[in-house]
Amino acid sequence: MKAEDLKGLFRKLSEVMEENRKYLIKLDSVVGDGDLGLTMGDGFLAAYEAVASTGESDIGKLLYGAGKAMSVAVPSTMGTLMASGWMQAGKALKGSTEIGEEGMADIFAAYLDGVANRGKAKVGDKTFLDGLAPAVEAMKRSVEEKKSGREMAEAAYEAAKQGFQNTTTMVAVHGRAATRGEASRELEDPGAAVAMLMMQAYRDWA
Amino acid sequence: MKKIINKPEDYVNEMLEGLYAAHPDLITYTNDDLRCLVTAKKKAGKVGIATGGGSGHLPLFLGYVGEGMLDGCSVGDVFQSPSAEQMAAVTREIDDGAGVLYIYGNYNGDIFNFDMAAEMVDFEDDIRVESVVAGEDVASAAPGAPGEKNTRRGVAGIIFVYKCAGAAAAAMLDLDNVKRVAEKAAANVRTMGVALTPCTVPRVGEPGFSIGDDEMEIGMGIHGEAGIRRGKLEPADQIVDEMLDKIVADLPYAAGDEVAVLINGLGATPLDEQYIVTRRVDQYLKEKGIRVHRYYVGEYATALEMAGFSISLLKLDDELKTYLDAPARTPFFVA
Repeated sequence: MKAEDLKGLFRKLSEVMEENRKYLIKLDSVVGDGDLGLTMGDGFLAAYEAVASTGESDIGKLLYGAGKAMSVAVPSTMGTLMASGWMQAGKALKGSTEIGEEGMADIFAAYLDGVANRGKAKVGDKTFLDGLAPAVEAMKRSVEEKKSGREMAEAAYEAAKQGFQNTTTMVAVHGRAATRGEASRELEDPGAAVAMLMMQAYRDWA
Repeated sequence: MKKIINKPEDYVNEMLEGLYAAHPDLITYTNDDLRCLVTAKKKAGKVGIATGGGSGHLPLFLGYVGEGMLDGCSVGDVFQSPSAEQMAAVTREIDDGAGVLYIYGNYNGDIFNFDMAAEMVDFEDDIRVESVVAGEDVASAAPGAPGEKNTRRGVAGIIFVYKCAGAAAAAMLDLDNVKRVAEKAAANVRTMGVALTPCTVPRVGEPGFSIGDDEMEIGMGIHGEAGIRRGKLEPADQIVDEMLDKIVADLPYAAGDEVAVLINGLGATPLDEQYIVTRRVDQYLKEKGIRVHRYYVGEYATALEMAGFSISLLKLDDELKTYLDAPARTPFFVA
């Protein structure tokens, strides 16, 4: 895959977030201020527009640029976390002009690191990480088992979906949900839902 | 919603245009972006100090840019963080080779964006940035244990951090020492507030929460974050005593200490009432044997049209006292 090929992934991400605006608003309104659907729709659209309009062949720079565009469009907490993911992926892939399936796993592994470093949360804290971390694990396994790109994406989506559903077993320790303490346990985490939707877009694109 | 505005979506930019019109000698903007505010009085070779945060808190944050305090400030929409790009643009403009200190309030959106901005200017421009995060609202969380993350919200007391760090930078201290002074001020300030009415974000059009006509909420944050107690409105002296009991016990401030005191109106509480509060604060501190070096009374950090006030105490030593008293001139602060 070259930088040009990744543009389709960003288009799919933007489409999936747009289709799920209302779903994310509804999830986020239970504990947050309900603007997650707006910021994710706007943010992933800005990322897509940034990659669509560039002739950049360095995959790292392409991803970094997507993150920067997102950080400008949606400087909210979640917007900045997602932007940090792309920027970290950009730093990790800097200099690459062509990648294989392993490279896709590297992109999302670096994305996970970028979000974790910025937000200082851990897996199990009932956040975005609980959706993406299992997906990244699944991708690493797929690489080891030399699965096809399509199989890897399917496995990543299934793992993210499971991870999202598992957030109803966790107590929130960050953000407004944390003020509810034990009562936050039964709620589905909107951040982990974003991770699931990202993996859905990745699967649909792969 | 009853506000003197044009269109809600123009609220922030039109406010900024008014500020630039009124104070052309002190402030201007960079990057062709009204929201990237910088001093018009740049001093060669000095450590730059930048802050930033959501709009809706004037004079916070941008009102303290000028001479002897802050050099730059990026502002976002009402109660929303500015972007890391905007923060980075301000940083590039105010850096003059001595590095830049970020001082901002303890909110996730601001922390994430300032951290990202610091990485951007390090990576892209080789500018050295240090950060001090102010979180001194005693009502917002228990004090963090040593080494643990401070989870308290930053509120009006940040003005003391701006003033002391700003004066240290104006005295040509280096970045490490300006940061040390900022950290000392941040460690010695405590604040608590009380709200009587909610506030309305212009683009939302209605209050995000309600407070009964006969009620108050002790400890409410400057975006309407939940406080520690909601109850019937009480006489001023009783409210002040409850707040000061918590503030004084927290640091703690003790007999013989010398402090600066900030009585801050939240947006819709008259100065008369603020001085009624000041009267009781003065009686209370005298009873405790805590000496007041200086009072600041008025609006320093507001929450749109919220009624209520906050009290901040800063424990002083000779160094902080010198920097607090040093000259400064900004649109909202003259010393």
